[in-house]
Amino acid sequence: MEGALALAIAATPSFIASSVEFVEATTIVLAVGTTRGWRAPLIGTVLAVLTLAVIVAVIGVALVTVVPEHLLQLIVGTLLLLFGLRWLRKALLRFAGVVALHDEELIYQREIRELRAQGLRKSEFDWIGMTLAYKTVLLEGTEVAFIVIALGSASAAALNAAIWGAAGAGVIVIAAAALLRHPLTMVPENWMKFVVGAMLVTFGVFWATEGIGGEWPGDAVALFPIFAVVIAASWTAVRLLRAVLPHGAQVEARNV
Amino acid sequence: MSNVVRAIWDNTYGLLVDDGRLALGALGAIAVSWLIASAAPTTQESVGWLLLGLIVALVLANVYAAGVNARRRAS
Repeated sequence: MEGALALAIAATPSFIASSVEFVEATTIVLAVGTTRGWRAPLIGTVLAVLTLAVIVAVIGVALVTVVPEHLLQLIVGTLLLLFGLRWLRKALLRFAGVVALHDEELIYQREIRELRAQGLRKSEFDWIGMTLAYKTVLLEGTEVAFIVIALGSASAAALNAAIWGAAGAGVIVIAAAALLRHPLTMVPENWMKFVVGAMLVTFGVFWATEGIGGEWPGDAVALFPIFAVVIAASWTAVRLLRAVLPHGAQVEARNV
Repeated sequence: MSNVVRAIWDNTYGLLVDDGRLALGALGAIAVSWLIASAAPTTQESVGWLLLGLIVALVLANVYAAGVNARRRAS
């Protein structure tokens, strides 16, 4: 039971977070493919996936096998906390209307405009399309790789569970995008970011505490009350923001 | 070469930090909890709740400040 819980802890946030990142990457790859042809963006995507596989294999295996347990818990806990707080803050500001929601359709149309403006000679290999797809998949995928490595650092089985979670998300998102040939605008990205942000903050607090020598009553079971506290704090934060800005502001994320 | 190093640094920083004050506050909360756990080993079972409390306070203060900042920009 405890083993199944540990694997679910690695696989679930990995699946949700990866879905968000795959949706964002798919939007750009779709824009490149529909405006400039599919060969170059598909090559760029495959190269980026191979780069990410090397990153996960090298760093993930090194972390699991080389770094002492307490130091690993502190490093992973701190990184998860920073990463989770970043997602949680963004999601809370979006829920309260302070920052505009992420709009895949808008991004897709803007990319198509920009790519068409750059033009394409039929006789040449499309280096622009390949580079854009490679950079996008690599950047979004780095977040996936980070989450997979962090959640999988507890053991080889956890690393496998996190990889399967991310791979499952990739298969579903890519299959849906291939069927629809359109950005996946119906995906509730902010909710998913919020849930993952809250989960990562929960794991971050849990592991950072163990890394500094603290103990949790009931061990992994303590994750549930920690998660409940994070959710309650998030609800309070959104109420607080709505009191400060009853009609929202929709300002640029970087300006708050 | 320096451009590549800079790009790697920018991406790594951007991966973890959206708001520098929030990130520094989180590191500070971990440091405070660590100091307390080291100084008083009897607090081992409560230091986690202290860290959680500090993080919750940090998030509330940070998003409130962001809201006030956005209101000022919007008006």
